Amino acid sequence: MTKPTDHDDGNVRPDYRHAYPVLVILLLLVVTGLTIRHLLIPKTFGEYGFYRAAAMDDEKAILPRHVGRAVCATCHDDIAATHAKDVHASVECESCHGVGGKHTKDNDAPMALANTKEDCLICHRRLDARPGSFPQIDWQQHYTFVGVTDPTIACVKCHSGHEPLYLDHDLRTARLHPLIQQCSSCHLGRTDETLKKPDTHPKIFQCDYCHAELAKSFAKGSHTKVSCTACHLFIKETTFSGRIVRNTNPQFCLLCHRKAPFKAGTDKAAPPTIEWPAHIKDVSNDPIDPQRPCVNCHQDQIHSLYSKDAHHAM
Amino acid sequence: MPCNNAISRRTMIQRIAIGASGTLLLTLFPKLTFGKDDAPDGGKLPAKKRPLYAYAVDTSRCIGCCSCMRACRAENDVPKERYRTWVERYRVKADGEVKVDVAANDNFVFEETPPEDIVKAFFVPKMCNHCEKSVCSQVCPVGASYESPEGVVLVDTKRCIGCGYCIQACPYGTRFINPETHVASKCTWCYHRITRGELPACVLSCPKGARMFGDLHDPQSHLSVFMKQRRYRVLKPEMGTRPKCYYVDLDLEVI
Amino acid sequence: MNYVFPNELHVTWTVMIVLYPYITGLVAGAFIVSSLYHVFGRDELKPISRFSLASAFVFLLFATMPLLMHLGHAERAFNIMLTPHFTSAMAGFGYIYSSYLILVALEIWFVMRSDLIKRTHDKGFLPLVCRAIVLFNYRDTPETRLANHRIAKILAGLGIPMACMLHGYVGFLFGSIKANPWWATPLMFVIFIFSAIVSGISVLIFHYFIVSKINRWKINGPCVRSMASYLWAFMIVAVALEGMELLSIVYEQTEATDVLELLISTKLFWSYVVFQFFICSIVPFFMLGAAVLFRLSDRVAYALIWLSSCMLLAQVLLMRWNVVVGGQLVSKSMRGFTSYMPGVWEKEGLITAGVIFTMPFLILYVFHRLVSLFPDVEKLPKRSNGV
Repeated sequence: MTKPTDHDDGNVRPDYRHAYPVLVILLLLVVTGLTIRHLLIPKTFGEYGFYRAAAMDDEKAILPRHVGRAVCATCHDDIAATHAKDVHASVECESCHGVGGKHTKDNDAPMALANTKEDCLICHRRLDARPGSFPQIDWQQHYTFVGVTDPTIACVKCHSGHEPLYLDHDLRTARLHPLIQQCSSCHLGRTDETLKKPDTHPKIFQCDYCHAELAKSFAKGSHTKVSCTACHLFIKETTFSGRIVRNTNPQFCLLCHRKAPFKAGTDKAAPPTIEWPAHIKDVSNDPIDPQRPCVNCHQDQIHSLYSKDAHHAM
Repeated sequence: MPCNNAISRRTMIQRIAIGASGTLLLTLFPKLTFGKDDAPDGGKLPAKKRPLYAYAVDTSRCIGCCSCMRACRAENDVPKERYRTWVERYRVKADGEVKVDVAANDNFVFEETPPEDIVKAFFVPKMCNHCEKSVCSQVCPVGASYESPEGVVLVDTKRCIGCGYCIQACPYGTRFINPETHVASKCTWCYHRITRGELPACVLSCPKGARMFGDLHDPQSHLSVFMKQRRYRVLKPEMGTRPKCYYVDLDLEVI
Repeated sequence: MNYVFPNELHVTWTVMIVLYPYITGLVAGAFIVSSLYHVFGRDELKPISRFSLASAFVFLLFATMPLLMHLGHAERAFNIMLTPHFTSAMAGFGYIYSSYLILVALEIWFVMRSDLIKRTHDKGFLPLVCRAIVLFNYRDTPETRLANHRIAKILAGLGIPMACMLHGYVGFLFGSIKANPWWATPLMFVIFIFSAIVSGISVLIFHYFIVSKINRWKINGPCVRSMASYLWAFMIVAVALEGMELLSIVYEQTEATDVLELLISTKLFWSYVVFQFFICSIVPFFMLGAAVLFRLSDRVAYALIWLSSCMLLAQVLLMRWNVVVGGQLVSKSMRGFTSYMPGVWEKEGLITAGVIFTMPFLILYVFHRLVSLFPDVEKLPKRSNGV
């Protein structure tokens, strides 16, 4: 127990009067503080919760910068139409060409061209982590495969950015193709014997598991290095199905086969190249529609049209 | 020391009187009491009539093009070396080692890596999960971090003092201090777009449909339908934050 | 491989946030020493009671400085008193700090009122300041002194829980961040309080020896030895708690244990394992233990005590650094570490930290000039050697 050292007289009564001004000052402080607080708290604070409701309006007041494909299409309707039918339909215009907000207000404001090789490789560079079904390349391998000898050439020299594959059917309405078949599709007699054994029963279906006859015929042609899905473009939509397009557009065949100064041309390993549309005159005196599919004449170089395992007319 | 009752009682009564009048004064200022707790139910519309926004990510569709990162940066002026959204790349080797990286270069492009014995690799987009029980809003000392009535967690940039508590508290590392404005900043699900009926910039720019956004209170919305079809989970559910960003096909290695 | 979330490359809580709990810790510890005399009647601590109270006050004055330097918008700092969001541990800061500041100021006013009034009789500028401080009321009688004493006792008693709150809330703030595995433990609140008391007693011992040496004052042996005992006791508890926290991480083997073990063995090896634990905890434990348990001569005991206080001051600072910075080095991805090196000249750099830390000592000197903090101190005879 502390003994009071400043006062020895046990009969001393404490005198608190000097403490009252202190108390008054404290009270004044509290009242002033509360008043200031009342004045300074924002009006909309607490309307919806412990925050300033007007903050949401501040956020809403920010103007959007991306405009979306539909807005671009109001002026660039021709490009939009081709773009919507091809494989880049799901790629936003602004993903490649930059944000469109300024350009819609002032049509002279430039947009990025995005036509260098690196711009395409951002998405299409082969990476381990990219899904196998996604088209991705090692560009040097790809150039060698298609016979391009000039490494400085950009992808857009062959592939239009808006219709990279020149699909002749609109991908949105293309035929549905299942990924996982019903049991009956294989087990009604048309299956190869090896597929019936449990340990060799396929779990992931490749084209030739069902289309075995076509695959055999394909192996006899000259396109053996090309995958089925290059020409029969398959776009997976859900876990169970996707859409398939048989691309018969001559422009598509010409991606590999058009003669160009940056291509090897006569190199045995490279695809044979032709002049277009000069090739039509070279092969026929009759007028041939330039839109006519190349396969109409070159069927035997690819695979036979009809086979027992084709489920539908080509 | 003998206690002198007369003086001390008077003093006590005086002090009680002062204390009581002080407390009375307090009641004249209603804003002193705690504000309503953050909850969509604080809003003006009944809860079911308001939209409840949520987000879904299908990691099996992501190709790691990072268009979302570029779109977000363009839409929201995200400063350099700060990310409102990002894409992680996971590469699992045969010996079990997991390598994770982000395309943190200027243009957000994933580069090739030296060939290794990779058995599984995939991309995982990430952003603010706009949690239902967001820790960031709980720990904000001034009420600058909040959940809007539609379920979007936002920052009041005029009120934030830049203390950084929310950044420490977020289990997902999605917040940062904007080095130019010195306030906390993060993905807002493009609130300025979604309140105009548009999609967030990242969802708009994703070419493979890996990102989805929608209203959970609208049973017809793409998101509601998607969530009834697929099995999903969230990141770090053990934190109890109840994120509203749902991941499909999420690997065990993703934290 | 090292992976951190991209936003974690920049560490948000810098050396300023290391300094802030350190300073409030010094406040809490100094205040506890003062209260040991004023409330709990430890008379041997009377010589240091004014000094400790004044130390608590000046450190308290500067406690907000590191926070203001850190805030992105220091001009909005008052938002924390306008709209404190009480679900947040940090929201209490404004009111706790200001009310505690007022309380300590009031306690000083009442404790030192008699001496302030005596000073008003002198000539000069500082005595004028004293006149204003006593509100121009110079009545100093046994009755007023008794009143002062009673009020001071109440304030000192109230001050203990408030000091615990002022410093404890920081510990709770860290301990309740579930997202950070290095911080999240219920023990953090208690660890911070006990290490705060350790740092407060240490700074008093440290400073007392220095000013006594400079002014050639006689060291009050019983006072110092008493402080050393308290320091030893609190230090044991503090280090035991810190060890407990580490033990539970290693024992429980949760998801975070691997990355935390890596943190301790690589990033924090020197600052945590070598310096905080081995050098600055074990060595003072033995030195103080010797000074407290054995009958050592004054010279040897004082040397051990002073050295221990220096090392414990460093230990607590290191502990703050290892907690605040160490926690931010661990990525929330559990896959790697980021790095942090404080700048020298920037707003949140080392020079600022140094200035903020030394200012209280200078203000304490001014305080001493205003009214003596050691009214009953003896001066050493001219020929003797000081300590």
